[in-house]
Amino acid sequence: MNLSLSKDLTANSLIVWSELVKNMKFLTAYPVVFIFWTIFPIFWFIPFLLQGQAFVGGLQSPEFAKLAGTPNYVAFVILGGILNSYVLTSLYGVGESMRREAYQGTLDYLLSSPCNKAFILIGKALSESISSTFYALTQLVVCVLFFGIEITLGVVMPVLLVIILLILGLYGIALMLAAISLQSKQAHDLAHTLENVFYVLSPVRYPVQSLPSWAQMISSLLPLTYALIAVRSLMLLRYDITAVYYEILLLFIIDMLLIFFGFYLFNWMERRTKKSGSISHY
Amino acid sequence: MAEDENGTQGLNPVSCPTGFSWANLKAELRAIWESNVKVWKIELAYPVSFVRQSVQPLVMLLPFLLYGLVLIGGRYSEALQGFLGTVNPVDVVTYIFTGYMVMGFIGTAIWAMGFSIRREQWFGTLESIYVTPTSRLSLVLGMALHSTMHQTISVGIEFSVIYAVFGLALNIQGILPALTIFALMMFALYGFGILISALALFLKEGWIVAEGLYSILMILSPVAYPLAVLPTVVRQVSGVFPTSPALMGMRSFLMEGYPPQAVGTIFLHLLALDAAWILFGILVFYFVDIYIRNRGSLGKY
Repeated sequence: MNLSLSKDLTANSLIVWSELVKNMKFLTAYPVVFIFWTIFPIFWFIPFLLQGQAFVGGLQSPEFAKLAGTPNYVAFVILGGILNSYVLTSLYGVGESMRREAYQGTLDYLLSSPCNKAFILIGKALSESISSTFYALTQLVVCVLFFGIEITLGVVMPVLLVIILLILGLYGIALMLAAISLQSKQAHDLAHTLENVFYVLSPVRYPVQSLPSWAQMISSLLPLTYALIAVRSLMLLRYDITAVYYEILLLFIIDMLLIFFGFYLFNWMERRTKKSGSISHY
Repeated sequence: MAEDENGTQGLNPVSCPTGFSWANLKAELRAIWESNVKVWKIELAYPVSFVRQSVQPLVMLLPFLLYGLVLIGGRYSEALQGFLGTVNPVDVVTYIFTGYMVMGFIGTAIWAMGFSIRREQWFGTLESIYVTPTSRLSLVLGMALHSTMHQTISVGIEFSVIYAVFGLALNIQGILPALTIFALMMFALYGFGILISALALFLKEGWIVAEGLYSILMILSPVAYPLAVLPTVVRQVSGVFPTSPALMGMRSFLMEGYPPQAVGTIFLHLLALDAAWILFGILVFYFVDIYIRNRGSLGKY
């Protein structure tokens, strides 16, 4: 019994490791793509910084502070942009990963292999997390050097915890997306729609309080909302981790729900697709 | 089948108009129209995707608006008034809307036109199109026509929602001259789009170039801020692209209290950019076309 468990664990770890290595090989095979994701997310928030300068005439906005708690809109937007890049990589990286396997002609082999497919997805999510964190760190270094963002060593661990929780929640959503792409084949529009929901309804560029109440309700269901509130409280407002325990707790609960439903939906869709014989349909 | 004396195997010979003739122009215009119709048919076959794409510009505009309103705690900015030199504080909603409306058409040039040929490659129809006697540019222009029509629908949705929710202070009598400036800008953007389609043909995975150029153009164009906030060198570079003079010209007609621009200078600037971008785009397209066919890499991914 113990021997079998240990064998299973080794085999499953090997699946995760192989998937991780495969995705890393893909990533390093296209250095331009790698550079793009490192640099260009910075270009996406620069217009917002320039807009702020034009509208306010400086780098601090007292009006902004009334809702955001800080007049420093530059740091607010930069942190929002960096954390939002995790949404993009999880939705398009993991969410559409099964679709990509179909394009590459390897989906049939993956799904007919005798392993638990959840471990394949864990491998994909892990590789995506590593690359996303590398991109985010590079962007953060650029922002520290050029935009005057300040980081103290004391906030590194709590922020890391929040980011890990954010990644878990996002990959729960990505699992659902991967499951839907197995059945409906084209999940691209859904991924775009979800990206838009996160972008508009989470406090990426502006505080949630500026949204109408119905939008704030939807926003309260998104993991990015709590992650952004917690990270900004820790990094910008210099709060202690105990001050954001409520956000962290809610983020954790949302994560558990998303991951549970993500795996459940994926396994259900996998069985359904196999039965219908439509795995290799385009 | 036995060949007859004309070598047509009994089929009716078809003659294709060539060169600078009225018949050829008519044939190319027909090809542009048919190409446009084809893209509409494909697009309307996926109604969910069509709706999402039509609403997307509005979704991307909202963060600029909400962020702007939160920054100043209202809709009139005195700082922007100082940058633009207007008499009264500037209505930021109208300012951002007019800017972002134009930005959508940059997406037309870069994404739709730029990927028109690449898309045929994905569909597996590129080689078939290349052996027809129609100009490859007609395919790109057909896509441009479709995309301009599609973007107009999106702008209509944007306008309706923003007008209903926030209200817009636009000069109705300024629409006609603004549209003339807009048309001049579009010609230059079409030249830019032809250039991108050549790059996509050459680089294959041209999405990085397209996304990169779009992001850079977004910074260089006065969409949500005046050029005065940019460093001098960057401001000068922005003059190479049609969006900067076009936006300044259009806003002077559309926005109440916006400082009047030297309209003649803007028209001349845009005409010069039209000629330069169209010629440059066609020239690059022509050389890339020859290069790709000589290398035999047309069908390569």
